[in-house]
Amino acid sequence: MPCEHYKDALTEAAATGVGPQGALRAHLTACDSCRAAFEQEQSLFTAIDSGLHAAANAEVPPSLLPRVRAGLDEVAVAPPPRWLQPLVFASAGVALAFVVFLIARPYHATPENVVRQGPVFAPTAITPGTNANPGKIPAAAAETASTGANPSHTARNSTFFHPVASSNPQVLVPADEHEALARFVATLSQRSDVATAFLAQTPERKDALVSPDLLQIADIEIKPLEGGEAEASHSVGEKR
Amino acid sequence: MQELVLIQPGSAARSEWVREAAQADARREFEERLRECGPLAYRVARGVLRNAADAEDVAQEALLRAYRGFDRLRDRSRFRAWLVRIAFRLALDRLRSAKRREQRDTLWSQPAHLPPPATAEDIAVSNQFQGHLERVLDELPEKLRLVLLLSAMEGYTIDEIAEMVGVPTGTVKSRIFIARKKLAEKLRCHANTIKMP
Repeated sequence: MPCEHYKDALTEAAATGVGPQGALRAHLTACDSCRAAFEQEQSLFTAIDSGLHAAANAEVPPSLLPRVRAGLDEVAVAPPPRWLQPLVFASAGVALAFVVFLIARPYHATPENVVRQGPVFAPTAITPGTNANPGKIPAAAAETASTGANPSHTARNSTFFHPVASSNPQVLVPADEHEALARFVATLSQRSDVATAFLAQTPERKDALVSPDLLQIADIEIKPLEGGEAEASHSVGEKR
Repeated sequence: MQELVLIQPGSAARSEWVREAAQADARREFEERLRECGPLAYRVARGVLRNAADAEDVAQEALLRAYRGFDRLRDRSRFRAWLVRIAFRLALDRLRSAKRREQRDTLWSQPAHLPPPATAEDIAVSNQFQGHLERVLDELPEKLRLVLLLSAMEGYTIDEIAEMVGVPTGTVKSRIFIARKKLAEKLRCHANTIKMP
């Protein structure tokens, strides 16, 4: 058994392979048991290194490289990632579809065009007989008059107006004005004179900048009063 | 709706030609490295698996994987380190699956792990210690085991090992030292079976 004090130092010295130094070296010359233990540790590490060398430097089988070369013939160099190609085609397809849509769409309503179009009323306006209370507007009528049957469709296409796409034209109005419009439609259905007034062709205004004709005033003709002055003084004298 | 396809006449043939030329270059460059790194991959796998047939399979798989990703390896000087890691990882995976299979098989069969018959005392003692060594080697942490295996291989300096593993030289030295000490601690009880060369 080695001395307990030098036990770790013996292992360290054997593991490093450098050999005992300093106090350990002096101790080994004096202590037979420690010297024997040190030699055993050295043998252990030599055996470990020898075993590792055998394990790590095994003979390479000659069939390895031909096998790999045969495998290389079958394997092509990795193509670009598979997900990239569909992504490129999808992007190109979306871009192409957008361009085709921009080119092919028949009409693009600008705000100016919408204003010129004027109000168009839904044909499902409220009839007088069904609306007993003119002040109370049915929800269905309000919906019909304001945005039509599909609010989401209207929201998506809020800038488009397709005059020939449907026989039931729709009108775009702000959300807070649809009730007022519904009331207006109800009023029109009851009072045909108002509707007629709206539909009547307004006379074209001529140039508003034309200045009005000057007021024509004829020359003042001064005529003496005949007998009027005497009558006036006479009446004053009577009152006094 | 008519399907539309974007084509550029002439560019497809040219890109095909460029691709084939790049493939040929990659193949040539890979074959040059194969002569040097093929044995390395095999030995790394062999050091982990301790079985020649399995190690050959793993080395082949590692080399083919490396070839598939060769064009994506920007720094070709890192090829050896890259290949070592692939081979080591594949060998560990195979070792684990083999251990699982072995455990499963032992449940259904009688324990038949008898020591190999000794034809001569020296061979028996030597084989016994080598068996203990390789078993203890399996128990080492992966980072210690790889460094120890590479250091035991012929032809690689500490600096080259550090480059392969991707750690500083001092770390390689300390890992080798720790690994050898751990092996010694576990093998000390088998020291009586040591047959010195």
